[in-house]
Amino acid sequence: MTHTLMKTAASWVALVVFAPALVAENRTGEQIYKQMCARCHGAKGEGTKRYELPLVGDRSVAQLAKLIDRTMPEGDPDALDAEGARRVAEYIYDAFYSPDAQARLNPPRIELARLTVKQYRNSIADLIGSFRPAPKPDGRTGLRGEYYNARNFQPKARLLDRIDPEVNFDFGKSGPNDQFDVHQFCIRWEGSVWAPETGLYEFVVRTDHATRLWVNDLRTPLIDRFVKSGSDTEFAEPIFLLGGRAYPIRLEFFKAKQGVDDSKKNPNSPPKPAFISLNWRRPHRAIEVIPNRFLTPQRFPEVGVVSVPFPPDDRSLGWERGTTVSKEWDNATTEGALEAAAYIVANLNELAGLQPRDPDRTAKIRAFCRTYAERAFRQPLSDAEKAFYIDRPFEAAGGDTELALKRVVLLVLKSPRFLYPNARRAADSYAIATRLAYTLWDGPPDKELLDAAAANQLTDRDELLKHAERLLQDPRGKAKVHEFLLTWLKLDQVKELVKDKKRFPDFDAALVNDLLTSLELFLHDVMWSPTSDFRQLLLADETYLNERLAKFYGYSVAPEKGFKKVTFESRDRSGILTHPYMLAALAYESESSPIHRGVYIGRGLLGIAIRPPMEAFTPLAPELHPNLTTRERVTLQTQPMACASCHGIMNPLGFALENFDAVGRFRDKERGKTIDATGSYETRAGKTVTFSGAKQLAQFLADSEETHYAFAQQAFHFFVKQPVRAYGLTKPEDLRKMFAENNLNMRKLIVEIAVMAAMTAPDPPPVDRDSPSRDKR
Amino acid sequence: MPVTRSRREFLRDMGLSAAALPFVMNLPSLGFANQTQRKKRIVFIFSPNGIVPNDFWPDEVGENFRLKPILTPLEPFKKQMLVLHGVCDRIRGDGDGHMRGIGCLLTGIELFPGNIQGGSDTPAGWSKGISIDQEIKNFLQKNPATRTRFGSLELGVMVPERADTWTRWSYAGPNKPLTPIDDPYQLFNKLYGRAKDNQALASVLDAIQDDLKKVSEQVDAADKRLLDEHAAFVRDMERELREQQAAAKEHPVPQLEPGIRRDNDNMPKISQTQLDLLVQSFVADFARVATYQITNSVGNARMKWLGVDEGHHTLSHEPDSNLPAQEKLVKINRWYCEQVAYLAKRLAETPEPGGPGSLLDNTLIVWTNELGKGNSHTLDNIPFVLVGGGLDFKMGRSLKYGKVPHNRLLMAFAHAFGHEIKTFGNPSFCRDGVLTGLV
Repeated sequence: MTHTLMKTAASWVALVVFAPALVAENRTGEQIYKQMCARCHGAKGEGTKRYELPLVGDRSVAQLAKLIDRTMPEGDPDALDAEGARRVAEYIYDAFYSPDAQARLNPPRIELARLTVKQYRNSIADLIGSFRPAPKPDGRTGLRGEYYNARNFQPKARLLDRIDPEVNFDFGKSGPNDQFDVHQFCIRWEGSVWAPETGLYEFVVRTDHATRLWVNDLRTPLIDRFVKSGSDTEFAEPIFLLGGRAYPIRLEFFKAKQGVDDSKKNPNSPPKPAFISLNWRRPHRAIEVIPNRFLTPQRFPEVGVVSVPFPPDDRSLGWERGTTVSKEWDNATTEGALEAAAYIVANLNELAGLQPRDPDRTAKIRAFCRTYAERAFRQPLSDAEKAFYIDRPFEAAGGDTELALKRVVLLVLKSPRFLYPNARRAADSYAIATRLAYTLWDGPPDKELLDAAAANQLTDRDELLKHAERLLQDPRGKAKVHEFLLTWLKLDQVKELVKDKKRFPDFDAALVNDLLTSLELFLHDVMWSPTSDFRQLLLADETYLNERLAKFYGYSVAPEKGFKKVTFESRDRSGILTHPYMLAALAYESESSPIHRGVYIGRGLLGIAIRPPMEAFTPLAPELHPNLTTRERVTLQTQPMACASCHGIMNPLGFALENFDAVGRFRDKERGKTIDATGSYETRAGKTVTFSGAKQLAQFLADSEETHYAFAQQAFHFFVKQPVRAYGLTKPEDLRKMFAENNLNMRKLIVEIAVMAAMTAPDPPPVDRDSPSRDKR
Repeated sequence: MPVTRSRREFLRDMGLSAAALPFVMNLPSLGFANQTQRKKRIVFIFSPNGIVPNDFWPDEVGENFRLKPILTPLEPFKKQMLVLHGVCDRIRGDGDGHMRGIGCLLTGIELFPGNIQGGSDTPAGWSKGISIDQEIKNFLQKNPATRTRFGSLELGVMVPERADTWTRWSYAGPNKPLTPIDDPYQLFNKLYGRAKDNQALASVLDAIQDDLKKVSEQVDAADKRLLDEHAAFVRDMERELREQQAAAKEHPVPQLEPGIRRDNDNMPKISQTQLDLLVQSFVADFARVATYQITNSVGNARMKWLGVDEGHHTLSHEPDSNLPAQEKLVKINRWYCEQVAYLAKRLAETPEPGGPGSLLDNTLIVWTNELGKGNSHTLDNIPFVLVGGGLDFKMGRSLKYGKVPHNRLLMAFAHAFGHEIKTFGNPSFCRDGVLTGLV
């Protein structure tokens, strides 16, 4: 703190000496900048030792002018009048400050990018999957249960077949129904389980009897407790799954003794109780019974999941991208290729459709290798390529077909043609198919898309639109969309949500899990509704609650099982901003945090690049200011000029949510004082908007072009993983207009983004240097 | 993908992940980093269903003893063997004699109550504790000087493909039975899969470089840098693989005969192949502890190659008065003894790498059984025949103890490795401390 004060004092002295009472007069913005600003900010806004951060950002001229007028020159804002500030703002905006100016100085391009980690895993899984049947999801939910009145699965003892919505049974001392022997029966559930996101799952079977669980691999059980041993009743094993895919699952339950049958020896023993439930922990989530919507009686084929650990991708721009390589990454691709090769060798007969003693075995394996390489490269092989990738390894292996196969698999998966899907800078149908699929799935094109590419249909925009819509509706598309929404909400980087146990004793891991489910259901609802209206994310007056949430948040919902859509009881709630998970995540352990909420609204929704504070601050302790509300404490702490330039934006946004406490419960009063939920925002167009409470704030945001612009741009970056201005300096604004013209239909936006990106071949660089955009919005 | 689980487990066990990896392709070096002190090894061999006491136990005590018919295959190693009579499995509780016999043999502790019903007594589950082989393995793995790639190997011959109390004897902990590998190809893959993988990898690296060059020509200059960087990593890998292959020359990957079928009649062949791979593993210092489980408790091998058509377990229930059955049981047990002798022979004729003497001088084979006698299901006088100089016991003797709990013997194995545990398994059987008279 002292250091800052000294710096401020020094620059104040400097200003007094070198720039006494300068007013605009006839000087240009450039002249003023050179005289008054360049000393600290550098000739081109690049920064100096006095002030290191470069002058780049996304405020409008109007916002910059107000800020400069209010705060600059540092320590003596009166030295420059409003007109002077406006001229400086205009100058720096066009010269270097604005994103467009930056794009002109340093033209962004569509960069060569390797597969991201997620894309790598998806590519191998779908490549292997392309040799297996691909059933269309039929929409059914639950698992198929077979109930046997015996100690093991004897066909003649199968008494009952039914679909169970989920597996969570307490049979007590009885059987599944009156027909069953209370001493011994067994059940087998089969079907598939959907993984909503990529990550490490934990499957947990709870039972007081014997059980076995298979997930994905139906040969080796994930959990083998066929031998009941000791008094443990919870059995858990981790497994890495890729999102947007269904995995075959089988669960067996045995209430019986195994080994020697002594049932006749002890005919009158008292029956024991029995229960079983099938649970999971999704990545970073609490344990729950696997919900009905993630289970299906439909049988999907096994997925080839590469679980080798990878170094994380670059996320410095806010989205994952593969524009750097490292030794660790290269090693991981080697490990991944070896894992995939071992898997393909082990499952060769199934994948290549071979009989064990096929007379044409070698020829068929060779044909399999060719198809495999073509699918890995997402295009047919030329004769020269076939000689390189297939014939040469086969000839070199000298008759050892398995060795040849292994070498082909390794060569293909280590090839830049596989690892860099946009290395081929062509505009043909195959390149388009590849770009479209990676944009919407983070995975390779499927058979249907490749067939369309083969028929050269994808250069036609309407055809491409149809495919884009199909891909978006696919579970893989839906998984990526959901991931995007979480990224937009800044909930993708998971951190544990804990609250003060004394103030909020019921706010536990299970409740947090329910909140996430509620949020997920809400997002899904709006996104996949007929209109897919972006505004509904902010304006909806409904949410999903279950019993626990209703009780905690004081709703009187009929005590039914599961989640139910409920209209907000408080007139002040509105959409995602007032979802208790968001409010709780953007808060401290026992107090609300208008700053965190304001930063999210500013950065996330309005797309303002707010920098972190120059130094770390500890929030003022509420105990030390017992008479101040949170709003008053925050205002007190952020009063200094150095804070005001950013907090002047954030605080008034966050204050509008002050009716919600640290867990997102509604409150009228804090510390005996009535909540002041008024707030304001200065738009990029230079207008001051005021609002009071969440509902008015949400209405402003829902209608704001800034919000639409930011959403469209974030969507572009998340899906395409390339800088949007590489596709043209006007692209961000074009996207906003298109979004608005389509009634803010989010699905339409994503489809249009995907089609646009797919049809743009990276070469030559499309940046038009001669007609810089003058758009200042 | 489950097929490569072993490699991942290895990485995990070594506390390594691919992200933080100095390149683990150089696996053998991990096995040879620790040759300063003398290596000690132990191998536990299991055969089932009890023995025929009169044709097994030497009558004499001390250095001058005569081998009975079952033990005659060990004649060449008589000076390197110890026969321990009077060591008893005193563990009681849930489970029948066979289940407790195998489940408590190396663990020295009771079984959990469970759902596996034997022919008598109450049903039971898995053992309540770790087995001595794993205890010793953990001890060795904790110390960088004795750490090896796998620590221990769990092998078997014709172990049934079902996991229950009768088919497991090695335990990583309570309720954590370990599955023995009884398929030589699976074992080979575990031991040498990585080396094979690296050979395949090395063979395609030139082509990958060519490929990178070709693709590099199609992209513009700014993007080329990324591919150049990538190519440098591939060159690094090439160099590392070359160095590793040069280092591995001393321990070439053995050839495994193809087409060994996994069935009853092929047991002799499987057993010999498995034991050969075990010896190779010791040469390469992949592990210093091993278990070798021939079939399982209640195992019913039909040794037609000896002219015995009946299953072993079926025969083992025949009374002493059924002399032809007893004769067959002697033959069967002698075959098991031949496996012990084969291992001893292979170890004896293999020089200790980097040290004096043979592998057998630094290895102790412990041959044991889940029962003292098949038709009585007694857990008294459990057969314990020790061969080899690995633990510096005073060999070349026949000893008779008076009903000592076998926990004390298990503790003696650990102590000989320098792991001075005060109890092992059920502590009430350890009160008299480590079994004396061995050294």
